[in-house]
Formats: sequence, structure tokens, C-alpha cells
Amino acid sequence: MFVVVTFIATCIHVYASGYMHDELHDVTDHEVTLADGHHLHRPGRFPRFFQALSLFCFSMLGIVIAGNLAMVFIFWELVGICSWFLIGFYYERKSASTAANKAFIVNRVGDFGMLIGLMALWGALGTLQFADSRATGPDGAEVVQPGLFSLVRPAATGHALQVPDGMVKFAAADEVAKIAAGQPQNPAAAASEIAARVGDWRAMGLGNWLLFIAGLGIFCGCVGKSAQFPLFVWLPDAMEGPTPVSALVHSATMVAAGVYLVGRFFPVLTPDVLLVIAYCGAITLFIAATIALVANDIKRVLAYSTVSQLGYMMLALGVGGWVAGLFHLVTHAFFKSLLFLCSGSVIHACHTNDMRKMGGLAKVMPQTAGTMLVGCLAIIGAGIPFVIGLSGYYSKDAILAQALSFSQVNPRHSILFLAVAGGAFLTAFYMFRLWFMTFAGKPRDHHVAEHAHESPSVMVTPLLVLAVLAVVAGWTLPGGFGIANLLEQARPAGTAEGFALGAVTIPAEYKSHEGAIHVTATMTAFATALAGVVLAAAMYLWRIVSPDVVATIFRPIYSFLANRWYFDEIYHALFVLPAHGIARLASGIDTGLIDGLINGLAWAARQLAGIDAWIDRTIVDGLVNTTANATWNAGLELKKLQTGRLRQYVMFIVAGTVALFVLASMLFKSSLAG
Amino acid sequence: MEIGSLITGAITDTLDVSLPLFRVELAIAATIVLMLLCRMLPVLRRADSALIALGGAGFALWYAWCDLRGLPAAPWTLADAAAVPARQELFGGLLVFDSLTAAVRLLLAGFLVLYILFTKVSGIPDREDGADFYTLVFGGALGMCLMASANHLLMVFMAVEMASVPSYALAAILKGRKAASEAGLKYAVYGAGAAGIMLYGISLLAGVTGTCHLPSMAGEVARIVGEGGAGGEVLVLALGGLMVAVGLAFKLSAVPFHFWCPDVFEGAAAEVGGFLAVASKAAAVALLLRLAFTLGAPAAVPAAAATVVAGAGDVRHFMVYVIGLMAAVTCTLGNLAAYGQTNMKRLLAYSTIAHAGYLMMGAAAAVALMGVDAAGSRRAVAALVFYLATYLFMNLAAFAIVALLRNRLRSEEIASYAGLVRTSPGIVVATAVVLVSLIGLPPLAGFISKFLVFASLAEAIQAGAEKPLMLVLLVVGGVNTVISLFYYLRVLKVMTFDPPPADRAGEAFPLVSLPGAVVTALAVPVVLLGLFWSGLYAAAQLAGTFAS
Repeated sequence: MFVVVTFIATCIHVYASGYMHDELHDVTDHEVTLADGHHLHRPGRFPRFFQALSLFCFSMLGIVIAGNLAMVFIFWELVGICSWFLIGFYYERKSASTAANKAFIVNRVGDFGMLIGLMALWGALGTLQFADSRATGPDGAEVVQPGLFSLVRPAATGHALQVPDGMVKFAAADEVAKIAAGQPQNPAAAASEIAARVGDWRAMGLGNWLLFIAGLGIFCGCVGKSAQFPLFVWLPDAMEGPTPVSALVHSATMVAAGVYLVGRFFPVLTPDVLLVIAYCGAITLFIAATIALVANDIKRVLAYSTVSQLGYMMLALGVGGWVAGLFHLVTHAFFKSLLFLCSGSVIHACHTNDMRKMGGLAKVMPQTAGTMLVGCLAIIGAGIPFVIGLSGYYSKDAILAQALSFSQVNPRHSILFLAVAGGAFLTAFYMFRLWFMTFAGKPRDHHVAEHAHESPSVMVTPLLVLAVLAVVAGWTLPGGFGIANLLEQARPAGTAEGFALGAVTIPAEYKSHEGAIHVTATMTAFATALAGVVLAAAMYLWRIVSPDVVATIFRPIYSFLANRWYFDEIYHALFVLPAHGIARLASGIDTGLIDGLINGLAWAARQLAGIDAWIDRTIVDGLVNTTANATWNAGLELKKLQTGRLRQYVMFIVAGTVALFVLASMLFKSSLAG
Repeated sequence: MEIGSLITGAITDTLDVSLPLFRVELAIAATIVLMLLCRMLPVLRRADSALIALGGAGFALWYAWCDLRGLPAAPWTLADAAAVPARQELFGGLLVFDSLTAAVRLLLAGFLVLYILFTKVSGIPDREDGADFYTLVFGGALGMCLMASANHLLMVFMAVEMASVPSYALAAILKGRKAASEAGLKYAVYGAGAAGIMLYGISLLAGVTGTCHLPSMAGEVARIVGEGGAGGEVLVLALGGLMVAVGLAFKLSAVPFHFWCPDVFEGAAAEVGGFLAVASKAAAVALLLRLAFTLGAPAAVPAAAATVVAGAGDVRHFMVYVIGLMAAVTCTLGNLAAYGQTNMKRLLAYSTIAHAGYLMMGAAAAVALMGVDAAGSRRAVAALVFYLATYLFMNLAAFAIVALLRNRLRSEEIASYAGLVRTSPGIVVATAVVLVSLIGLPPLAGFISKFLVFASLAEAIQAGAEKPLMLVLLVVGGVNTVISLFYYLRVLKVMTFDPPPADRAGEAFPLVSLPGAVVTALAVPVVLLGLFWSGLYAAAQLAGTFAS
């Protein structure tokens, strides 16, 4: 993963240095119209862009190498804030700043769940460390502090999933308190009694829900970051950012973070949680794929495709395909960044995102067209069955096989396999719809076509590199060297075997390689993909079936999809409007009631102060001034006494003595009389 | 008694008892002699008399410190400190050594050191006049030391005159200036008048009581007053007492014997003003306390009869009223008359008059508490000594600022200080510290001292000692503090708010300079003593132990 992130980030940095060269000097943004009717003219923000991009990559790598959920969370939030910077890079555009806010806020919803999960883990287990950590105890001996993984899957029981002691005790807090209260003098005995009863409690199912909450909470964070249903709405809007950002965000980094974390956290997740994940992935995959069918914005198609592919990955993880999910994550990273960079190249050439204005571009930009074709083939999982294929072929096959294996073990959940198969068909259709609309046929808009040109080599070179990788990433080289095998080696302890807890059974992943399942899966994948491509070609290349006619026939469905299942509208009605209402109410109370009260008080205070000021001015000041004048005058009078005439002074001595004597005789008449 | 044993006794008394406790005065006297000697011998004429004076003052300070440290009740008595008796009459009863003597002598010696340093920087006296100036200063200081330790009415008169006569000359030390000569003449004539009346009073007292030795006289007075007196003896005693009080009031510049004070301060150099305002006042307060406490407590009379005790009470009552009423009038008139003064030295003269009033209030409280609460009385004396110590810094700093500003601005008018804050902010800050401390606002030393004095008044009220008078004094003191705000702050207002005069002569006054260092050295203790005053107060309490 580390290699994938760094590699793709490097490609994108190189590519972005070409794409963003406009920012080196002053920029006139034609999409922003100022109040005076002119377009916004602003200084270039080249350094700022790369600052944010680099911080983004740093945070992403931080998530990847963090060995501790708390660290993950911190880098997680850093990624979130960087995405906010980058999506809102053209912050003068209202749509861009709104999209940035949307992405940020929606992610916060997910992170709220993640915090709950963190609290559940910390509260019950007291550690957020993934692996065991060694510390030197007070006696110098090495003490092993178990991490989350060994708590949930202790080595003693062969790494089988069990509810950790801490959670059991936490759930049985009443019992624990009772035992502890029973033996207040002997805490050691109480502790041993508690330890003895943990097994019984675990058998009673105490603590299951806590582990469930913890897993679900962590998954909530992943839902937000990986744009899963129901929090996927931010990702298509995030296309407002510059295209390299889209490529980075939607391939290797931000959205991958969620899948990566689910994979990282996989050992702790119970089958219940995995089932939730699987369904979540299935719903996402389906919804996003259907929306992508009708989108006309080239980047939006890719965005929904990303959401859909992320759904694949989640589903794969959810049905126990640890390697399958992460394998797809890696291959997807390559071909999706390739696709995004190609689309960026197209947009760079056409100065528009609208596919309806494109067409026939293969002639003017053959390299872009070729690499994009490779990307499309990779994403639909094209290949010659059982012989060789592009990277997507291998990863998608693995997912399909695991889903099939799962639905055989749990027949009630066989809809998951159908979702995967249907998704493969839809993927093939919309990807080739995109390619045909953009590159094949005749130019629809001459204005656009005339200006189109091949992109500079600094942009094309990464495309070529990524195209090669999109082809070969799934291959297993002689000697067994391949991404799938590497991942197999990295598999967390204890997850190779299938496991069950409650009603759901997770099949072991190797079972999906069994002949029957594997062949079925591969054939299904090939068939659905081929069907999708053929249908797309029929509609957009050979024009056997007119898309417009289809749209007219299925008018309600078309508009339903074109409006993205009305998710934005629903969220608007469900959350934004009530929030606005509450805000308006609060503001009304604030302005009407509280401000009124305060203003009234202020008015009353002013009146009182007025009265007080009058009293102060007329009575107090008058008194003070009178006194001051009196003392001043007295002082001046006293000054006059000081005549400076020596003769008078000497006389004053005599007079003073006499006065003193008179005073004394008056005061002490009785005693002096004798 | 044989003449031989009499002589032997006198020699023993002088050499073994008196002289060791007279070291401070001896050091001062020796310095005078040395300075005069240097003046006469051509070889030594070039010696800087200020340095000699500084050395002498340093010796005096060290001896005074040793004496105080050796007192029995001293909290910091050290092993090496030679013990001194709590009370010892010297020279056959002419002088007395006790804690008050020690404390006031320490104050005076300390003042001398600071004063010499300050005058050395301020430039008055110049090198030519130095020996004369410092001889006079030391002569005055010697008289003041004697005032603090006088135990005999003749000694009282001698001391007062010894302190006054050099002061007359000092007032006129600026030889070329008419105002200074006038000031000196006025001072001398006024002082002569006051001295005459005082001498008259002394002769009356001595005539009635048959002695000049104060403790003996106290017993006689108490007896006469207690018995009601025959043939108007009480009347004569009262008249004599009042006449002595006139002499004291002249030294204290208490109203109505303050007329000399503004004229002399205005005419004489600011340096002389500082000397008169600080040292002279401290000695006068010490003498007031000495007279009042000796006459009010006739301890020397053995087996005191009831009539004597009653008579002593009457004497105290009389003294408290004389001191208290004079204090109230002095304080109020001093503060009021300070309004509208345009000359800074004159303003400070009235300020010293007002402060004399506060000090006398404290003295009145101390005397009033004498018969009721000995501990309270000691605390009142301690408050006064504390007041004197802080007053030393505050007032010397004020006069130093006037003198050093005069060197720059060639003027002592308040108006010439206008807008000084713009060119010399440091000196204005120092002035503000000093003046605000003189007002008595926290957190400066002036606040603590004023608070302690008022606290002793309140203590007297609580103890029921002369309650109505004390109440009046407390109110008058409080009101006066408010009144005094005005004229002190007016100076600051002129310094800060008023625009500087267009024809300002002289340059800025940087605080980082030798004169600035002097001002800082005097102003900083004003702040520090306001914040950390317990040490000084402990020393002041030690000074109060004499009032047993």
C-alpha cells in the first residue's frame, strides 16, 4: 500500500506540475463572475497547491504506516482537512467551496461514528494499538502488552475470533462489581474469580454487541471517507477540484483510506459487521453504477465509477475476501488514476467536461485515447478467460469468486453475488459509453474539436506509465511474484480460515479458488462485461439503438437516475432543511426573545444611568465642585497670610504662643485654675 | 563625698559608659574636625571634603547600626554584636541612650550617606564650598543626634540650637543669591525668636520644678499637677510647657510657627531644603516623642503616689490635646496652602508642613495610648519611626528631583516642568512614584506609613484613649489625604499633559545617567518598601521598645 500511494502520488505530482502551470502566473478565472461583471483575476496559487498536495500525501502515508488507531484517526482528520483545501482550491467558485464544505461535513458524520468506535475500544480494552507492543516493566523484564489484534484473536486459541476479556467484563459490569464488592479485602481473589467466570459470560454472548459497535463505528468512518452508501454524495461534487486532485483523491488516497482501514481492521470485525459492510458495498456499487449510466460529465462518470468500485472493494471485504478487496484496491488505484488523468488530458484539450460536446477525439489525441482505452478495459476486467487479462480481470474475478463462495455458504445472502455480477455489467456499459462518446464517432461540437490537441509530454508520460501498470498490475510473475501473492503474505493472522459468529459464516478465501466456483465466477465476469461493452457499442458506436429513444421509453427511470436517485434532494429535505429550520427558530428566539430582553434591559439601564448621571452632575458634582472651590479659595486666602515680611512673622510667633495659651486655658480651665 | 571619688566616678561614667554609646556623635564630630583641618593645611586642601564626609558618615552609620543591632530586643541580634543596655543615661544624665536614640541616629546617619552622595552629584556645593557645606551639615546632624538623645532641658535647648544655627547658614549658602540670603536671615531671626521663647519656657519649668533633668522633672510636674498646685504653679508649668512646645513647633514647622518654612525653602537651594525637610524633621519628631514620653511617664519617681499617677495622666491629657490640635491645624493648613503654589520648592515646603501634621497625629496617638495600652503605644511609635524612614526616601527623592531638574532646566517653577514626559519619561515616572507615595497611595511606601499612623489612631479610638480627639484626628487625616491629592497630581498633570514651553532651556534628562541613578536609587526604595515592608517594620518596632 505504501508503495502504491507513493508511486501514484509521484505520478500525479509530475502530471500536476504540467496541469497546474497556469497557476504560476496570474489567473483569470472564467467561471467566477464578480459583482462588476468582470471575471475574477487573482494571483497564481502554484505553491499553495503543492503545499496542500504534499501534506495530503504525507497524511495518507501516515494512515498507512500508523500502528495505532489514535494515530490513524489523527492522520485521517489531516487527510480530511487537506481534501477540504484541495477540493476548495478554486474557492472563489461557489460550487467549489460548497463541494469542499460538503465533503468535509459528510466526512465528519462518518468520523463521528469512528469516534464512537474508538471510545468503545478504548473504554473496554484500554488500548488502540493494533499489534502487541513490548515494554520494559518496572522489574526490568520485558512485558508484552497485547494489542487489539491479539485481544480479539488470541494466539492461544489459534487466532480464532472471540470477544476480548475486557469487553466481556465491561458488558458484565454489574456482575464484576458484585464479585468485587463481595470480597473487598481480597482484590486478588476477586480478580481470579472474575477471570474464571469470563468464559461463562462470553458463552452467554456478553460483550458481543460491544465488539459489534466498535467494528461498526470504525466502519462508519470508512463509509464517510470511502464514499459508501449513504455518505457517498460528497465524492461526485468533489470533482470541482483540479483534476490531479480528483485523481489523487479518487484513486490512491482518500477513498482508499477507508477500504484500507477496513482491511487493516479486518481481524477485529465480527461477521455481523462484515455482513453490514458487504450490504453497504453492494448498495453503493449498484446505486453508483446506475447513476454513472446516465451522467454526461466525464469526470462525474468517473467519480460514480469510483464509488461503485469502492463498493466492490467493501463488498469483497465484507464477504471475507480480504485479499480480493485489497487486490482490487491496488489495481483500481492504477487504472482509476489513469482514467482520471486521461480525462484531465481531455478536459485540458477541450476546456469542457461535457461528453456531449466531445466525440472523435481519438484522431487528435491518439495517446490519450489509447491509454484511456487501456484504463476502460482494465476496469471492466477484460481478459481472455483463464489465459491472461488486464489487472482488473484478476481482482474482479477474485471478488466475484469470493462473493459466489459466500452466497453458497449463506444462501440467504446470495443477492450479494447478483449485485456483483450486475455491477460488472453496468461498469462495462458506462465505461465504454464514456469512451465511445469521447473518442469515437464524429466530433459533435466543431468549436471544441478545432481546439483539441494532444497534451504535453509531461502529462502524457505518466499516462503511459500508469497504462502499463494498469495492464500488468494483476499479473503474477514467474516465481510467484505478484501483488495478490504479496497481499496473501501480509494477511492478518487467523483470517485465512473461515469463521463464524452467530448466524453468518464467512468462508475461507482459498475456497473461492476451487474449480467450480472459480470457473463460474470467471465466466460470469466475462459474460457480463462483454454484454456491457456490446450494449454500449450498440448504442453509442453503431447506433443500432438510439440512447435518446431508450431514455424516452424509460423516462421515469432515466430522470430518476439522472437526478442521482434524488439523494441530494432527500438529504436536503431530511437534514439540511430541518437544520435550517432549527437554525431559523434558534435565530428567531435569539433576535426576538433574547435580544429583545437584553435590549430592554439595556434600555432600562440607560434610563437609570440617565437619572444617575443627572444626580451625579447636579448634586454630586455640584457638591464636589463647591467643596473644591471652597478649598481652593481657602488655600489662596492662606497664601495671603504668608506675606514674607519678617517683622510680621516674629509677631506671629508671639501671637501664636498667646493663642496657644488662650486655647489651653479654655480647654483646661479646671486644672489650670488651681 | 570626696572630690577624688567624684572625679573618679565622673571619669568612669564618661569613659566606660558614656563614650561607647556616643560613638555616632563622636564620628560626626571627628569628621568635622578632619574637614576643618584639611581646610587649614595647604597640603590637604585639595582633598575632596565630600569623600571625607562620606567616610565619616559611613562610620557613623556603622556605629549606629551596631548600636541598634545590639539592643536587647533586636530580632537579628548577632553573636558578634556587642550588647548595649536597653536604657542608659549618659554624661550624668544629660543624654540618654535607648532604642529611640539608636533608631533615630541610624536614620540620621543613613540620611547623611545618601545626602552626601546626592549633593555630590547635584553640584551644590561646589568643590570650593564643600568643606563649609559639609561642616555645617555635620554640625546640624550632630545637633539632631543630640535632640534625639537629650535627657535634660539644657541639653534640649543646646541640641535645638546646635541643629538650627548651621541650618541658618546653610539656607544662605548660595552666597551670590539675594533670595538665599534673605531666606537665611529670615530663618535666623525667626529661629532666634522661637529659641527665646523656648528658653523662657525652660526657665519657667526649671524654676517651678527645681530641676532640668527630664525624668526628675517629670516626677515633680506630675506631683505638682496631681496635688493641684499652690500659687498658680500649674499655670506656670503649663505656660512653660507651651513655650517649650513653641520651640519644638518651630523645628517641626507646625502651624502657627511654620511661617519661616515656605520662604526658607523657596530661597535656599533645594539640597538645603532636603536637609531641613528630612533630617531636621526626624530629629524634631524624636525630640517631641522624648519630651512627651518622659514627662508623661514619671518612672523615675519611686513609689509613685496616687496623686502623682493622676497628675501624670493630666499631663498626658494636656500634651495630647496640644499636640493633637496643633497636628490637625498643621495638616489642614499645610495642605490647603499648598494649593496654588507655582514654585515646586514652596509646594514641597507646604507638603513637609502637612506631613509634620500627620507625624504629630501619630505622636498624639502614641502619647494617648501611653497610659492605656503600652503595647499599642509602642506600635504607634513604631509607626512613626517607619513613617520617618520612608519619608526620608520620599522627600529626599522629591528634593533631589527638584535639584537635578534645576540643573537641567534652570528653573524650579512647576510651569517649567510642562510636557517633560515627552523628553524625559524616566524622570517623570520617578516623580510620579515619589509624589504618589507622598499622597499615600498603595502600593508605595507612603501608603504603608500613612496606614500605620492611621491604624495607631484607630487603635487609640478602640482602646478608648482620648477617643473624641483621636476620632477628629482620624477624620482630619483622611480628608487631608484627599485634599493633598490635588496639588501633588497637578504637578504630574503639568509634566504629562501640558505642552512643553517653546523656550525650553536645557536638554532632556535621561534616567540612565549619574543624576538619573541618584533619582532611581532614591525612588526604587519607595516602591520596594511599599511592597516588602515587614523588615523595616520589624526595625521600627524595635525602636518603639523604649516606650515601656
